[in-house]
Amino acid sequence: MKTYWVAYQIALQETLQRRSTLIMDRLGGFAVVVSLYSFWIALIGNKATFLGYTRAEMLTYVLALNILRSFVFTGRGWQLVGEISTGKISSYLVRPLSYQGYALALDLAQKTVHVAAAFFEVGLLALLVRGGLFLPSDPATWILFGVAVLLSSLLFFFLEFMVSSLAFWTSESGGPLFCFELFLQFAAGAFFPLDVLPLALRRALEATPFPYMVYFPVRIFLEKVSPVEALRILGMEALWLAAVYAAAMTVWRRGVRSYAAEGG
Amino acid sequence: MAAAIETKGLTKDYRSPLKEPGLWGGVKSLFDRQYKDTRAVDGVSFQIEEGELVGFLGANGAGKTTTLKMLSGLLTPTAGSATALGHVPWKRESDFQRSISLVMGQRSQLWWEIPAYETFKLNQAIYGLSEADFREHLDELVELLDLGEHLSVPVKKLSLGQRMRAELAAALLHRPRLLLLDEPTIGLDVIMQKKVREFVKVYNKRYGATIMLTSHNMTDVVELCKRVIVIEKGRLLYDGPLDRLVERYADHKILRARFTTPVDPADLKILGAVIKYEDSTITLEVPRAQMAASAAALLRSYPVADLNVEEVAIDDIVRRLFTHG
Ligand SMILES: Nc1ncnc2c1ncn2[C@@H]1O[C@H](COP(=O)(O)OP(=O)(O)OP(=O)(O)O)[C@@H](O)[C@H]1O
Ligand SMILES: [Mg+2]
Repeated sequence: MKTYWVAYQIALQETLQRRSTLIMDRLGGFAVVVSLYSFWIALIGNKATFLGYTRAEMLTYVLALNILRSFVFTGRGWQLVGEISTGKISSYLVRPLSYQGYALALDLAQKTVHVAAAFFEVGLLALLVRGGLFLPSDPATWILFGVAVLLSSLLFFFLEFMVSSLAFWTSESGGPLFCFELFLQFAAGAFFPLDVLPLALRRALEATPFPYMVYFPVRIFLEKVSPVEALRILGMEALWLAAVYAAAMTVWRRGVRSYAAEGG
Repeated sequence: MAAAIETKGLTKDYRSPLKEPGLWGGVKSLFDRQYKDTRAVDGVSFQIEEGELVGFLGANGAGKTTTLKMLSGLLTPTAGSATALGHVPWKRESDFQRSISLVMGQRSQLWWEIPAYETFKLNQAIYGLSEADFREHLDELVELLDLGEHLSVPVKKLSLGQRMRAELAAALLHRPRLLLLDEPTIGLDVIMQKKVREFVKVYNKRYGATIMLTSHNMTDVVELCKRVIVIEKGRLLYDGPLDRLVERYADHKILRARFTTPVDPADLKILGAVIKYEDSTITLEVPRAQMAASAAALLRSYPVADLNVEEVAIDDIVRRLFTHG
């Protein structure tokens, strides 16, 4: 356990050290949020609702997105891909260390910094638009949302971990990960709420684990689902997490075995 | 004494997909992959006792790194067996991993953006060292490797030599009983090489650690290793004392003579192979058995001012071994 705590601290230090990368990351994310916001505001115009979202809900969706991006969509996938293709992974494989645990600790450090930055940005934006946010009054909603987000971030972590592990086999190692991330953001609802999509497509996406990462948690937060429905969503999410975790560990183990067979 | 390493018929084939050129080739290989097997290590058997410091030699591509990777558990062999410290390395048992270290001169385990000290703290946690042990081991390494102020600077700002020493310290913090060093002096200047060498020697002596070392730097081998294992194209070529390697493969000696007046080197060819003639001094390579006769003939028929006989230098022998197997 101590290993992961130390790894967390070191990673925290490193993230803060690479200030320019951090600032670029934040600016990029912020630009996405601002453009999404302007886009939706233009669409809503002076109608009361647009596709079932009020102005306040839409604004909340977009701002929540900024926080979720920072908490959910920060894996260690690119690092893993890099370490596999450069062979640095070897230096972990010869030490008595669980790479997943280690990567999770590093990821947590990254999340800490990014979530702090996201709250700051969102606070700033909220001030600019002078309130107008949808904040649930029922504490149960907050709790459900918190649990959903926690599960989401683990779900993303292991999904990304699984896709990154494909680098053990492919030589164009970044390819699968890049495609995956692009599709994932779309399918998770990180560009727009999925209920603006045609019903059939939405149904299809809802049968995948992706909407559990952004779309469903935000719907819980906006109280667009009943408490019973929210619990069902959490249950499903937990099942997805268990499945993805098992799959990721299998892919990883096989990857390491093939690495050991074919040479590092 | 127990064997620290024992291998029997250790063999490794690398299997790499044959890549056909062009897009069509790429598509085809998705469905029907052709593989090419390269035998990197071929039936190698040896035994190393605890506390030995063995040089592992061979030309580029001979299979040294591959062998060390198997012994550290990174690679599984295609055939044959090995034990290291009583474990099968590629099972990667945590007990085993706690007692070994693999250092590859061209790879780094240090975190790049932050001081090396932080990586040391991480290794302290990974290997479960108590604070007191960590302090003691670290202080000693800092002193032996002359690391001092380098530990508080981000690793990317260190010179290669400074980084290599920090690398060694990170790898030895847990005091491994088995140390696999793959070209630890590569890229270092002569003074740094010497420092690293001295360190390896002390580490071996002080803790009785078993060390296997590869190097293309003959000084490393001559100064550190009594015993060497030589492989060539994956096969074991020689395993024994360094001195015997010299006797066995140096069937020649060097005869050097200085003359009072210049002579024609062409006339001396019958005495041995002329390597050099310069400033009235001739250097001849003479078969061992013929040495006495050649020296006598030289003294008899030429105005010799000075004459001596030397063994062929070790680097030459090893180099020759590599060039014609
Ligand atoms: N990952 C790999 N896939 C396929 N072939 C490999 C791989 N790694 C090494 N080889 C091949 O295996 C053989 C042995 O390589 P190895 O790295 O063990 O040699 P080495 O003795 O360490 O050489 P050097 O002195 O150059 O470091 C070489 O022919 C090399 O091309
Ligand atoms: Mg090598």
